[in-house]
Amino acid sequence: MHYSFDIERGNFTDAGHASASVKRTLKQLNVEPASIKRIVVALYEAEINAVAHAYGGKIDVEIDPEKIVMIVADEGPGIPNVDLAMTEGWSTASPKVREMGFGAGMGLPNIKKNTDELKIDTKIGVGTTLTMTVYLNA
Amino acid sequence: MAQETYFHHSLKINDYLCTGCSSCIRACPTAALRIRDGKVILSDNKCVDCGECMRTCPSRAIYVKQDDFQLMDNYKYRVALVPVTFIAQFENRYKTKEIYSCLRELGFTHIYEVEHGTKFLAKLYRKYMAEHPEIRTFISPYCPAVIRLIQVRFPSLVDNIIPLKSPLDVAARVILHELMTEGARRESIGIFYVTPCAAKIASVKSPVSGQDTCIAGVINMDFLYNKVKLLLKNASKDAVPVNHSLTGKDILWPVTGGESALFSESSFAVDGLSNVIEFLENLEDENIDVPGLVEMRICDQSCMGGPLTVNNRFVARNRLEKRAMLVDRVLRIRKEKPTLEYPEFTEDLAKQLVIPAIKPRSMMKLSDDFSTAFRMAEEMKRLEKALPGINCSACGAPTCAAFAEDVVRGEADIDGCVFADIRNNPPDALRKVWGERLDNSNTTTK
Repeated sequence: MHYSFDIERGNFTDAGHASASVKRTLKQLNVEPASIKRIVVALYEAEINAVAHAYGGKIDVEIDPEKIVMIVADEGPGIPNVDLAMTEGWSTASPKVREMGFGAGMGLPNIKKNTDELKIDTKIGVGTTLTMTVYLNA
Repeated sequence: MAQETYFHHSLKINDYLCTGCSSCIRACPTAALRIRDGKVILSDNKCVDCGECMRTCPSRAIYVKQDDFQLMDNYKYRVALVPVTFIAQFENRYKTKEIYSCLRELGFTHIYEVEHGTKFLAKLYRKYMAEHPEIRTFISPYCPAVIRLIQVRFPSLVDNIIPLKSPLDVAARVILHELMTEGARRESIGIFYVTPCAAKIASVKSPVSGQDTCIAGVINMDFLYNKVKLLLKNASKDAVPVNHSLTGKDILWPVTGGESALFSESSFAVDGLSNVIEFLENLEDENIDVPGLVEMRICDQSCMGGPLTVNNRFVARNRLEKRAMLVDRVLRIRKEKPTLEYPEFTEDLAKQLVIPAIKPRSMMKLSDDFSTAFRMAEEMKRLEKALPGINCSACGAPTCAAFAEDVVRGEADIDGCVFADIRNNPPDALRKVWGERLDNSNTTTK
């Protein structure tokens, strides 16, 4: 089952539609509540990351009987130092973003914590693609 | 498909009055209603007894079934268990004792105020919260419709609910303890609860805990209001012995914010159906963080807006706020401090108030078998794209999504969608309204 959603720069208020829609399907599939929570948190964080840092992007979600793969691809500045970005509390978010209650530097670490596999492809000045996998009924 | 029924429902539909207008099916937060044979039907396991359908019905075809008032005659001790919400239905010029004297005239031998048990319960909440540091947000168990909504729609949040019974359960047990200490036999005591809503009835008849609630019967608040109102003109001004006195805080418990005010300052209150749903979605997605207790009530203005209340909810709230102030002033002057003290009984009572487990009862899952559910979800997604998405309810389901679900569950036929045929050759009038949406090739509509 495939879902796709667009990401718009700076549109924090609309973020969350993707995770809401995925959540509904996962509930219908009777996926463990704990797994649903992990998936929804990871997807929402990734979406917020793209909204805060990138110029735009796309979310593609593929659910099959074994796993859910969520690809969040953005056109943006890229992540200069992935190891640093994976450190809790480290953030390059602008003061404006922080004022809105985001940008605490918990995004990527939180995504890592809530997924079984996380692949980060990033190119400076081009963009970042996160591929997040969570196994269902594991 | 035979399914075990988890919940008792007191919400009933009068087929004679129901016109099948479909107003209620769209108001239901759990999509528990459908139209079949021109009348509305209720799915027992989806319904959470919020009463939204009853409020919406323009034909007054949905009602709350109550116990026979004459049931009282079977008992020597006939106890009216009255919530302050009932008192709030009457203008302040009537004194509480006048209202209670009317209840005596109607046949009750004892009057108890439900909220007397709130102090004790708040203490138990605090103990539970202190014992569970791993839980960040605690949800109050007070509103039974909220508990059931969480069970069927937000199963991941059941562990956030404090597993304790309600002030009603405290009161009922205290009454039994007191009367039996005085020598009354258990079977001669009949406790009758005056309810502002259908959810409380359901919680008495089929409690989440599965344990006895000690309540002999439930009386609808609007029914009792009418009876008391007739007697009130000539009510006796003599004091009616009420077994306990309430404090201002007790009185405010069923009012929005009254319960959460007793906890840390990061605790707060959410009321109203759509607010509760939005909040639970947020909590589930962890995009809000509440360290403390969340008081959550399904009705706007909490119990003041219960479907069986009579008066305006804001007026009722104001009356209780005034009463709370007055009561506190009197207590201060008299230097009284009412407490729930039963040294020989408290420990036992605390044990009786624990709910062993609040189980998730997800009504969203399509099948217990994952691969079957997966196939059905795929089919549903395909169907949803093919349906017009205008939620007209002509098929008897509240939305196109709900209809798609009914079809994959085998509970409805795809031909039930009137647009299936019309879309090939829509009348001009319909085309004017829906434009491209009626075009069959346009299946990208989300």
